[in-house]
Amino acid sequence: MVTLRQAAVKQLRARVIRRHGRDSLPVSINRRRIYILPTRFGFMLGAILAAMLIAGLNYNSNLALAFAFLMSSMALVTMHHCNRNMLRLSVDATTEVDAFAGREAMLEFELRNGSRVDRRDIEVRCMSGAAMDSVAAGESATIEVIAPVAQRGVMRISQFELRTRYPFGWFYSWTYVQGSITVYVAPAPLGSRVLPSGSAQGAGSHSDARGDEDFSGLRAYEPGVPLKHMAWKVLARGGEPVVRSYSSLAAQPEWLDWSKLDGLDTEARLSQLCLWVLESDAAQRPYGLRIPGKELAPSGGAAHRFACLRALAAFGSAET
Amino acid sequence: MITDRVTYEQLLGISGCLALALLAHITTLPLWVPAIVVACGLIRLGLARGGRGAPPGGMLVTVAVLVVPLLLVRFHTFNGLVAGTALLSVAAGLKLLETRTRRDIYIITLIIYFVSLAALLEGDSFWLLAYLIGVCWLTTATLLRLTSSGPAPGWRRSLRYAGRVLAQALPLAVVFWLLFPRFAGPLWQIPSDSQTAASGLSDTMSPGDITQLALSDEVAFRVRFEAATPPNRERYWRGPVLDIFDGHTWSRSPTTQGPSPLKPLGPAYKYTVMMEPHRHRWIFMLDWPSTWNLPRAELSSDYTLMQNEPLLRPVDVLGASYTQVQSTEPLNPRTRTRDLRLPAERNPRTKALALELRSTHADDMEFLQAVLAMFAQQPFFYTLHPPALSDDSVDEFLFNTKRGFCGHYASAFAALARAAGIPARVVTGYQGGTLNPYGDYWILLQSDAHAWTEVWIEGRGWVRIDPTAAIAPQRVERGLADVASADESLASAWQLRTRWFSGMRLRFDMVKELWRERILDFDQDSQRKLLEFLKIPEPDGQKLVMVLAAAMFLVLAWLTWQVRRELVPRSTDETARTYARLCAKLASAGIARMPHEGAEAYALRVARLRPDLAGSVTNLCGQYSFLRYAAPSTSVTLGQFQAAVRAFRPKASGQSSA
Repeated sequence: MVTLRQAAVKQLRARVIRRHGRDSLPVSINRRRIYILPTRFGFMLGAILAAMLIAGLNYNSNLALAFAFLMSSMALVTMHHCNRNMLRLSVDATTEVDAFAGREAMLEFELRNGSRVDRRDIEVRCMSGAAMDSVAAGESATIEVIAPVAQRGVMRISQFELRTRYPFGWFYSWTYVQGSITVYVAPAPLGSRVLPSGSAQGAGSHSDARGDEDFSGLRAYEPGVPLKHMAWKVLARGGEPVVRSYSSLAAQPEWLDWSKLDGLDTEARLSQLCLWVLESDAAQRPYGLRIPGKELAPSGGAAHRFACLRALAAFGSAET
Repeated sequence: MITDRVTYEQLLGISGCLALALLAHITTLPLWVPAIVVACGLIRLGLARGGRGAPPGGMLVTVAVLVVPLLLVRFHTFNGLVAGTALLSVAAGLKLLETRTRRDIYIITLIIYFVSLAALLEGDSFWLLAYLIGVCWLTTATLLRLTSSGPAPGWRRSLRYAGRVLAQALPLAVVFWLLFPRFAGPLWQIPSDSQTAASGLSDTMSPGDITQLALSDEVAFRVRFEAATPPNRERYWRGPVLDIFDGHTWSRSPTTQGPSPLKPLGPAYKYTVMMEPHRHRWIFMLDWPSTWNLPRAELSSDYTLMQNEPLLRPVDVLGASYTQVQSTEPLNPRTRTRDLRLPAERNPRTKALALELRSTHADDMEFLQAVLAMFAQQPFFYTLHPPALSDDSVDEFLFNTKRGFCGHYASAFAALARAAGIPARVVTGYQGGTLNPYGDYWILLQSDAHAWTEVWIEGRGWVRIDPTAAIAPQRVERGLADVASADESLASAWQLRTRWFSGMRLRFDMVKELWRERILDFDQDSQRKLLEFLKIPEPDGQKLVMVLAAAMFLVLAWLTWQVRRELVPRSTDETARTYARLCAKLASAGIARMPHEGAEAYALRVARLRPDLAGSVTNLCGQYSFLRYAAPSTSVTLGQFQAAVRAFRPKASGQSSA
């Protein structure tokens, strides 16, 4: 029974892809892509309604029939309400998600409700996770689905599901959204090797080297640079955004190098590199990443960190 | 996050709903059944209040093991309506006790729905229906509070939502109710609970039996005459005819023959009898019925209309009767013997009296007149509280007590006639009735129950003689209410009736009667009339289903519109709405407005893509800009803009749809 159902769902999902093709997010849920079925509770209600009807007919009681018909009609109306709960809801998703292997990926979905009714209890199911929330009339809500990821790599999610049992739990309607989400699963940050230093005195003179007197010039702004290094005066005069460059920042980039990690296998090397990236980033020191097939020039900041982590995640896959 | 645990609040809600549903059964269920359910609810609520979960399973099993045999002992079966309801109620109580998750509450809601319906299988009042719909509303609202993630919506919101679903379901339910095919009979034998006692007259009559009915203001049946109404003294409604007398009690003999033919002497009266269920087989028809439209009923030899099963629900019988008839055949010898029989050792003084009177009155009719004269001249009293009588009831009544109600006089009269060699029998039934001027029909209360006699006169056949008319003529002329008597209980009965027949009660009864006629008695025939009203030729079951399908289609279309209507964001701005309409028209013509496009830019693009529309679109968009951005002007009004947009009908063109 369960396998039969799973097979049917699988077939349906495949058909949905064939029929609707890929969605470009955000997508508005139209009525053609909403499916609806009674829940187990709904099937039980159906059985009770049938029994009510038979009892009413058998006793030839018009009042009992009136009650049975009213309840059946309520079930039908509820079906419409369940369907409506999802109809014309606008769905968006964060298409690039970063995660570490062995932990959870946090997938963000945004539901926008432009209508005059509240949408209650909308469940988003993606990968193996699910989360539920309500969206008030005319507002939007962000739903975060947390799904564990085990394997390093780049995962492409091509489909996620929206589901609701509102209002009475008699029916559930659901829809598949063919939106692609990429999850970059970086290796788990693990390793025992010490963070390499570019020169012998590098680590020792590190703290003095960051002093303002080591100012060495201006260079173009790039995202991720600490705000206190911004040359605000230049910007205020109407110039391009530039940052003050300090000798320590400019002079001692550290290369986190794949080739220097002899004696470890691929995944362990990647894990060690990942740990180093995080350590360097936390220490606000510039670093570059060198792995076979890819080299990221030394830099700092969040954007650089993400670039490095994604490079590690994508290592070995067709994705670069 | 989503939690399945039930809270105290949710338990309280569902327990309340269950209690309300059971309240509808309070008169039929043995009191300990609701008591068990309430106890279960209270225990569970107490546990939940203290932050504890459901009691261990062992306790449930114990309760079930104790209660179920108790039910079996009480009802002997679970098949009957009351027994089934009791079992379901107890099941709901036990489920309440073991409720842990939402799924348990789901089961309880289903039981509540079914128990509510069961109440409607027994009851038939509008208020019951309204009450149970209320219960169902409340239960559904509880369900709404249950299925929500995060904090449950407030009671008011839940009730409003469930109420809206209920209101939207109403049209569909009406269509179903009106057009869903009804069957003539039950699908299978209805299991009957022998709980409810029969009411009204029975098929035996002891002295004093009818007096018990005289104080009841329950409705026995209602009658509507088609055209002419017979005068009061001819409105005798025939019930069981009693022809066996043991000296104290009259009873019915089992008859197997059909009725003997009659020759009508007066007009036939056409009428509809609307019977209340009395759980006996007979139907009260006017005096000598000739036709009736009840398929499973026939006349017995004494002209009582008998159904082949007890009357368990209200039924309408369309019939015709005569009040003046003549027999065309002589009395069957066996019947004659039966109708002359008196117990040998009983009532000797009565027999002596009859023989004495007979010696001076040879003619049957003269003899009977003499008996009536005796009732009128001697100090006989008509009273609701006659003294109790022994086995020789007629002797005691005629020579000692001389106080009696209609039954006493009928009994004594028939006994005297039999003793004098005139075949006689006692007829029980109802007499008279009260007109409800608001509904133009007659109401017969239990207090209209009456007993009279029929005697066989050679050449005429059975002749009705009502001895009560000799002692209290008002009773027969105008009904019990007007009997002017010093008798206290009669006076109180009279007051009772005055109260009953005050305008309010009559109006109320009229509404009740309408409810019965239009709603409770709605059947195949009514559906046929409905189709005729809809001008559908030759209505039959198939056409009914077709009309049902069509009506359902319409209602479902309405429902879809009704439900989706709220999805369109309402813009309070008329100008913007009209502009949106214009954009929608252009979009369906193939040029949709880009989200970033202003009115002027859009008009330019349309003009470029569809030169044929350039003029009108530029003009319309100009008007919109004017209304939107310019100071209130006199050059364009909103009304003009709306009219222009309404009149604007762009044709779709194939090549410009890119």
